[in-house]
Amino acid sequence: MTAAVEFQDVSRHFGPVRAVDGVDLTIAEGSFFAMLGPSGSGKTTCLRLISGFEKPTGGAIRIFGEDVSNTPPHLRNVNTVFQDYALFPHLNVRDNVAYGLMVKGVGRAARHAKAEEMLALVKLDGYGDRKPAQLSGGQRQRVALARALVNEPRVLLLDEPLGALDLKLREAMQDELKALQHKLGLTFVFVTHDQHEALSMADSLAVFNEGKIAQIGSPQDIYDRPATRFVADFVGSSNVLPPDLTRALGGPAQWASLRPEATRLAATGPVSGTVTALRYLGSGTRVVIHTGATEIAALVPAGQPVPAEGATTAIAFEPQALHLMGTN
Amino acid sequence: MTAPAILPAKGAADRLTGVFWRRPGLLLLLLVTPPLLWLGVVYLGSLAALLLQSFYSIDEFSGVVKEEFTLKTYAELFRAQNLDIILRTVVMATAVTLACAVLAFPIAYYAARYAKGPWKAAFYLGVMLPLWSSYLVKVYAWKLILAKEGILGWAAEGTGTGFIIDGILSVPFLEGSSLSTSPFGTFLVFVYIWLPYMILPMQAALERVPNSMLEASADLGATRSQTFRTVILPLALPGVIAGSIFTFSLTLGDYIIPQIVGDSSRFIGLTVYQLQGTAGNTPLAAAFAVVPILIMLVYLSLAKRAGAFDAL
Repeated sequence: MTAAVEFQDVSRHFGPVRAVDGVDLTIAEGSFFAMLGPSGSGKTTCLRLISGFEKPTGGAIRIFGEDVSNTPPHLRNVNTVFQDYALFPHLNVRDNVAYGLMVKGVGRAARHAKAEEMLALVKLDGYGDRKPAQLSGGQRQRVALARALVNEPRVLLLDEPLGALDLKLREAMQDELKALQHKLGLTFVFVTHDQHEALSMADSLAVFNEGKIAQIGSPQDIYDRPATRFVADFVGSSNVLPPDLTRALGGPAQWASLRPEATRLAATGPVSGTVTALRYLGSGTRVVIHTGATEIAALVPAGQPVPAEGATTAIAFEPQALHLMGTN
Repeated sequence: MTAPAILPAKGAADRLTGVFWRRPGLLLLLLVTPPLLWLGVVYLGSLAALLLQSFYSIDEFSGVVKEEFTLKTYAELFRAQNLDIILRTVVMATAVTLACAVLAFPIAYYAARYAKGPWKAAFYLGVMLPLWSSYLVKVYAWKLILAKEGILGWAAEGTGTGFIIDGILSVPFLEGSSLSTSPFGTFLVFVYIWLPYMILPMQAALERVPNSMLEASADLGATRSQTFRTVILPLALPGVIAGSIFTFSLTLGDYIIPQIVGDSSRFIGLTVYQLQGTAGNTPLAAAFAVVPILIMLVYLSLAKRAGAFDAL
């Protein structure tokens, strides 16, 4: 399998700020790759390095094996769905979608036919004559998608494309994007700060922190076996246990992570604490237990007894649920 | 025992605030009535009076204005000498507007997209500073700059480029003994004086074009010149039109610059001034004053039809 995008020790420094710092990355062709991280972690800069809107201050970037150091954005065979969609307000939807073909000199009839085809792909047939201002947020997002796909890019870059949509629409679009990627067989590179979105959509993902990749792997890898405390904390609100607490719970003196859903409440056990907060989630109740300096969250499934606030309880879990992260 | 008051005691001002809060329309009415009266009575009223005057005529023997409806005064506009004035003014205004647009665009573009912090302040200062000094002072300064023995002629002589000025002065319709007595001099001064009115709206329009739109264009394969033609220019067009309304209409109405710099040929503004002041022919002056209004209406409707306001 060819690598669609390859980063080799890539850095992008803005003066003293190391937005991207020594990143190595391989994105397989045809995969749905997510870049996940908090704001300012370097994920968007990485995306802009692929599209060519940023130039690396160090390292090499290859797209399908070809070094793109000297290739301006308009000559790269990648297209972007922008966070704010960046639709041209003076053009109607059809001309927006056909823009990429227009600048290549494709004739009016041919490019309009292709644009209609793309609009059908994103289920917006019949909207060609409208102006972007007459569309809803979700429809604009689809137009941006159709516009980016019209040039038949080999890699599609998506910069937080679902960030501005409400929850219901976002979930529907997640399924659609995934289906579209499957249908077209393209490589999708998707930037998000939403861990649920990254975990549910990506084939593989990179977690960014402070300009570096904290961990790269499949969603299961990242979720079940976080490599660092940052990853454990950022992806899915895991309990992060300091070495002494891990040892008290029967493990070695190392940092460890423990999923709230793997944590049970018990009458007795080696570690106990006071219940300080309860949060009803519908499918269960999240119980926060204060043990010394550490807070541990446990997810009590619906139908099981929930302790009262202020009660004392011990915690229990299956030994294999405890994931060790070393001493860092 | 009475229950303690839940709400704080209200004074007269609080009650007034309450009334406005209940009826936001009342506040709006109070706020907009004075300016609307000003606009409606003083501004539009005087415009209506002007329009009315243009339908009167002047008795050629007594010089008294006859207050009877007639189109005779408008017919006078079509005399060869008057058509000449209108044509000359429109050509000048068009040339000035085009020159201002070409000069202003790079400046506005730089200011909107690249200038930051102190450079932006320097830009605003540079554009506005000329507006702080008297218009007359600037026009007279230009007369001296453009005069035969002025700094421009002196510099041209020193660098051996005097032939350029002589070349310009030998072009038909631009003839004159020096730039300050040539229509080309009038043109230069107009461009200088009105340039800020073109730069500022252009810069405002360019500032509103988000960077991501230019990136999207490049991302889709457009070269820089394609992005300029198909994205930047259409989006900046409302600003260009706004600026051109200023430069065009200001040139159409100005009566001072052509008096001081140039070959003393008459423009609409100057003609209105002379008809009203020395000749006492208010109806013809009014008819002349209606011409720029009509020209601007035609210009705006053409701009609208060309899609200049689609991006608004």
